[in-house]
Amino acid sequence: MTVVARTWNRLTLPGKVVFTVVPLLVVLAVALVVALALFGEAVLEILGANLPIVRFAVAATAILLMTIPTAFLIIYMEMKGIALMNLRIGPDRVGPFGSLLSVVHGLKVLMKEDFTPTGADPTVFTLAPVVVYLSAVMALLVIPFGPGLFGVDMNIALLYFFAVGGLTVVGLLMGGWASFNKYSLLGGLRSAAQIISYEIPLTLSVVGVLILAGTMSLNQLVQNQAGWFTDWYIWQQPLGALIFFIAATAEANRTPFDLTEADSEIVAGFATEYSGMRFGFFFFAEYVNVFIVSALMVTLFFGGWNAPFPFPATSLELDPASLGIGLLLLIAIVPVVATLVFAAPFWLLRPAWPAWYGLVIGFVLFNLVAVAAVVGWAYVSFDWVAGLVWFLVKTYFFVFVFVWMRGTLPRVRIDQLMNFAWKWLMELAFINIFITAGAILVIDALSSGS
Amino acid sequence: MKTDTRHASADDPRVFLDEQVGIFEQIPPYPPQTEREAEFYTLRDGEMFINIGPHHPSTHGVLRVIMKIDGENVVDLDPVLGYLHRGVEKLCENADFHHTIAYMDPLEYVASLFCEWPAVMAYEKLLDVEVPRRAEYVRVLTGELNRISSHALAMGFHALDLGGLTPILYSFIERDEIVELLASITGQRMLFNYYRIGGVNGDLNHDFMSRLGTWMSRAATHIEANTGLLNENEIFVRRNRGLGAMDSQTALRMCWTGPNLRATGVPFDIRRAHPYSVYPELDFDVPTRSEGDALARYLIRIDEIKQSLRIIDQCLHEMPDGPITAKLPRLLRPRPGRAFASVEGPRGEYAIYAVSDGTDQPFRFRIHDPSFLHLQSFNLLMEGRLIADWMAINASLDPIMGGVDK
Repeated sequence: MTVVARTWNRLTLPGKVVFTVVPLLVVLAVALVVALALFGEAVLEILGANLPIVRFAVAATAILLMTIPTAFLIIYMEMKGIALMNLRIGPDRVGPFGSLLSVVHGLKVLMKEDFTPTGADPTVFTLAPVVVYLSAVMALLVIPFGPGLFGVDMNIALLYFFAVGGLTVVGLLMGGWASFNKYSLLGGLRSAAQIISYEIPLTLSVVGVLILAGTMSLNQLVQNQAGWFTDWYIWQQPLGALIFFIAATAEANRTPFDLTEADSEIVAGFATEYSGMRFGFFFFAEYVNVFIVSALMVTLFFGGWNAPFPFPATSLELDPASLGIGLLLLIAIVPVVATLVFAAPFWLLRPAWPAWYGLVIGFVLFNLVAVAAVVGWAYVSFDWVAGLVWFLVKTYFFVFVFVWMRGTLPRVRIDQLMNFAWKWLMELAFINIFITAGAILVIDALSSGS
Repeated sequence: MKTDTRHASADDPRVFLDEQVGIFEQIPPYPPQTEREAEFYTLRDGEMFINIGPHHPSTHGVLRVIMKIDGENVVDLDPVLGYLHRGVEKLCENADFHHTIAYMDPLEYVASLFCEWPAVMAYEKLLDVEVPRRAEYVRVLTGELNRISSHALAMGFHALDLGGLTPILYSFIERDEIVELLASITGQRMLFNYYRIGGVNGDLNHDFMSRLGTWMSRAATHIEANTGLLNENEIFVRRNRGLGAMDSQTALRMCWTGPNLRATGVPFDIRRAHPYSVYPELDFDVPTRSEGDALARYLIRIDEIKQSLRIIDQCLHEMPDGPITAKLPRLLRPRPGRAFASVEGPRGEYAIYAVSDGTDQPFRFRIHDPSFLHLQSFNLLMEGRLIADWMAINASLDPIMGGVDK
């Protein structure tokens, strides 16, 4: 037992948590499978009876897991995008076009020393990244990714989003305070001042949409914008969308409002003393936040998962099961034939190449075509796939805008930041609300009068 | 039990240390020695010290500044110098005249030629050497190239210190081509060690001339394009306009020179005021601006790049043939006497005051560096400013710590 005890004692606090929670989850999952095998009927009945809880558990797990590839993708986008804007090459070593570098980044932060500075408050220091990360994940819970693809359908989803999103500042302040470093402290205080100031125009900017929609449920908001792209709220709320975008940039601590981690002023702000996975959580949370504010921008003003035009209802009438033995032949023969067909032009036009070059290119091309075909089939066959595709396309467009701004703009100063929030954005948000409410009143009066 | 005299480590509660660590040590570790020090290091209510540098992303080397801040406001600040001090003056006084030129380079590691230049000029005055005209033209040509590379870098770092990631890399495109150009005739990319007493080390070669022609054909448009990202950027302009404004009288009293002085409206350029080399024969303007703020200091560097391009153009057209070095003995023993030589560098007036006692080593070797004099104005410029402003002001003054610490 001494070996186990010594190993246990050597673990840091996060290690202890991980080594407790992960086996627990594994045991629960195994128990579920075993229970399903032994008492299938009864277990299914219990699960069916508690469907909302099961659905929530599955959705929460999926969203928690989804944050990691999302962060990887955005980190890669940022590295490559800024590199191209800087006329650099950017990552090009790990994976095709360096696309796996962010995965390596993730592994790197896992393997680095997780250091607590002398004088820091270890408990608060450890909890701070958890709070920041969890607030990001919890905010993601209400975002509708597609028809039926959402964590929880709350009737006050927007309110919940702002409430949970505001928790980020607690984490940043905790990290800044507990680090026992003056740069961190300044960064934490800056984040408190900045995020709380920008919370106000951010919340006020969506009031116009709320007046128009009459609901706070994000699903309902998206359904209200169904149809052509002219039905999106951006056309009725351009000012609101602009204010929302600017305030959301400040909320996500992105350039030009990245004062909390201003590297040329306060080194790395609240994250100065963090290393290892605790820094990794801050790092991930930042990029998840970028995704979240882009997603909310899309949901509120750009039609969410709606296509910009009503897609004609098509159906392929394709049931794979009806093909019978043909399906088997399809799977067995088509890849080989297609690979050879795609390879043929390279063999004919590039005789100097070794033959396997053509084979590899043909196989890759076949895979691309096959994936495109499957996605296309799924797009027309399943509503949620179509919705997810449009949602992600729009969201990543805004993520790209954030990356673009980071590559282009310098940082504002703290007094300019505050002036901008309190003297411009808040007034504009109020004007937006008054105009929207006035327009609604006028339209109501006209329509009831006639 | 002795454990009560030992303190638990904050890193690992099972480890006990002999002394309590982690509490900030007193800055400075000795009791205050002057009135100013006593006043600075006394904290009033709500104030705290923050240490910027010597290892900090935006201190342009190893400048250290202790700031007394109240929230984001800088109440007072105290620059601490000497982290790059190597005793160059004393080294030079113990070196052969030829050797001292190599010691000059690292003083001004962004535009090294401008520290070599006054040294060789001072020695030439001591030795009464006539420098061949071709050598003078080569000096002007390489010097102006080096000035462009330095100004391009200053612009990029100004943006970087304000948080803009991209302009620095655009600047480095120009700078990289220029240092490659200079490397093709000097053999070095950074510390050229190119000027010699009575001339230069090597003649212009084909590589240099062909690359210079290619670069000159697009330099003006490139620099124009690079500045577009900043000059028309509302955030950049707003952060710099009116920041660290200096009036011309104070600037003169604080011994400012170079672009920083000309940004306050004083048209003082040593190339015109105390002409040296072949500058009297060349046609160029001395750009000035009246605002004297960080934006003016940034913009005047762009104007100077344009003037430098003009000078390079004229040098290439009027370059005479002939020798590139005067005939001098290997061992130099100048007559006893003193000589002062100053040149207009990218940061201001670089000057050397050399005293010879008739031996082969300078008796006294005094280096005048403009960055040092610009740094002493921090307290004037930072009156009632924020922490972030210090980075902008520092970048706009564009100090090089090699010369400051000597």
